[in-house]
Amino acid sequence: MIRGRAPGPMIETHHLSKLYNRGVHALRDLSLKVDKGDFVFLTGPSGAGKSTLLRLLLREELPSEGVLRVGGRELVALTASQVQAYRRTVGFIFQDFRLVPRFTVFQNVAFVMRVLGVAQIVQQRKTFQVLRWVGLQHRMNAYPEELSGGEQQRVAIARALVNEPHLILADEPTGNLDPDLALEIMNLFREINARGTTVLVATHDRELIRHVGRRTIALEHGRLVEVA
Amino acid sequence: MTRAFRYAVDEALASLWRGRQSGLLSTSTIALALFILGGFLFVTSNLDRLGSEWGSTAEMSVYLNDDVTPEQRKAIEQTFASRAAIVDSEYISKAAAVARFKETFGDLGTAIDTVGGNPLPASYEVRWHSGSGEQVEMDRLGAVLRRTPGVADVRYDREWIGRLLTTVNVVRGIGWVLGSLLTVAAALTVANVVRLSLYARRDELEIMQLVGAPTAYIRGPFVMEGLLQGGIGAIAALVALAIGFLVLRARYLTPLASAVNLSAIRFLPVELSAGLVVGGMLVGCLGGLVAAWHLTDS
Repeated sequence: MIRGRAPGPMIETHHLSKLYNRGVHALRDLSLKVDKGDFVFLTGPSGAGKSTLLRLLLREELPSEGVLRVGGRELVALTASQVQAYRRTVGFIFQDFRLVPRFTVFQNVAFVMRVLGVAQIVQQRKTFQVLRWVGLQHRMNAYPEELSGGEQQRVAIARALVNEPHLILADEPTGNLDPDLALEIMNLFREINARGTTVLVATHDRELIRHVGRRTIALEHGRLVEVA
Repeated sequence: MTRAFRYAVDEALASLWRGRQSGLLSTSTIALALFILGGFLFVTSNLDRLGSEWGSTAEMSVYLNDDVTPEQRKAIEQTFASRAAIVDSEYISKAAAVARFKETFGDLGTAIDTVGGNPLPASYEVRWHSGSGEQVEMDRLGAVLRRTPGVADVRYDREWIGRLLTTVNVVRGIGWVLGSLLTVAAALTVANVVRLSLYARRDELEIMQLVGAPTAYIRGPFVMEGLLQGGIGAIAALVALAIGFLVLRARYLTPLASAVNLSAIRFLPVELSAGLVVGGMLVGCLGGLVAAWHLTDS
């Protein structure tokens, strides 16, 4: 899971805009850069454009204008099969965890490799490794409803990590957790980043950002207002 | 590819089990459509054989006047000899005609004795090479013979066979139209049932799309589910047809075959049975594809 920090930007946007049908500008003329191996917070109030930027980075949506590159690849130009290949290099984590309720912890994590055609023996080995890393190897036969919020988010992190992504995108990953659990999750992100993976965490929790103390990109009304 | 296939089969079987009630609906719809289509194919395949068997033994019957002279008979026989398409001809005397009538109709045959005298004419039975142009040649010879002195009438089976073939085509056409309509309905039912299972697995599908799962893994299980529903429906239809055939064979079908001079009424040929199963699977597969089509619009 340790990655080399080859120089160069991981995420690059130039004059990026996203306009929705109703005339709402979710992003306006956004230009920013996140280098490989960086740990960056994306912050701002609700409606600032954080989630929109993450959706664009996941290639769930296309920008209305501007350039969006990840790892040197222009996301707009990707074909459907290239989008699939690109997404295999990105791990995602959501506020609501999005675990499959009928799968156990182990199955939720192994599922990613299963649908990518990874051999079963490799699935089992890597799933166990990553669950041990997030401290949930003892709960691998439990179902999501039997876990606490913090445990569910750790499963989601394990799922995002199991495919050894170059980039981790997290949308309000601590939004449903109490402050202690939130710090615990942030420590996991720091460890992930220490291994060379670029991490972009969207959160409006200024206190958490101050506590972790990393580079912060602040958005407001879809515009870049501060880089700290 | 093997892993994707195995994944699709595993997931499709699990999904069929989970949604077995709605799955039963679509499988039954396919079974009904293919049962009806198979029923028509059963009828037409036997009518085809009837036409073929009648055709291979088709004869022209040339009925003679009671006062036909030996010279007239000789002239008629010379007409037969001049036709290359004729295999042979056999003279059936009035007495032989009566004997054959009694043999064919058993107890009823004695009724002819009550008529008084022998009402049956002497005749020639003429057998033909089957092949192209046969009908035209028969029509031509029939016209010549009808003008020949000593000939009372000329009859041949071709007209009946022609009518039979027309009937077969009409029955086949009705079967295809009805079968096609029901098949479309079956495909739509499968599509809707597969869509239900797709909805039940939407959380998994979302994860699959976000992690960049290949299209074969995303669509495969739904296509496989449709395919299995179609295959199971087709096999159920074939089994129902076979049971119906076995139940009816001894009591109705064998006497019917004998009455229409057919060697036996047979079940659907293997290639048609296989075609029904493959067709059912294709219909199910199509339904699954329709339901899962939008899943990879990344």
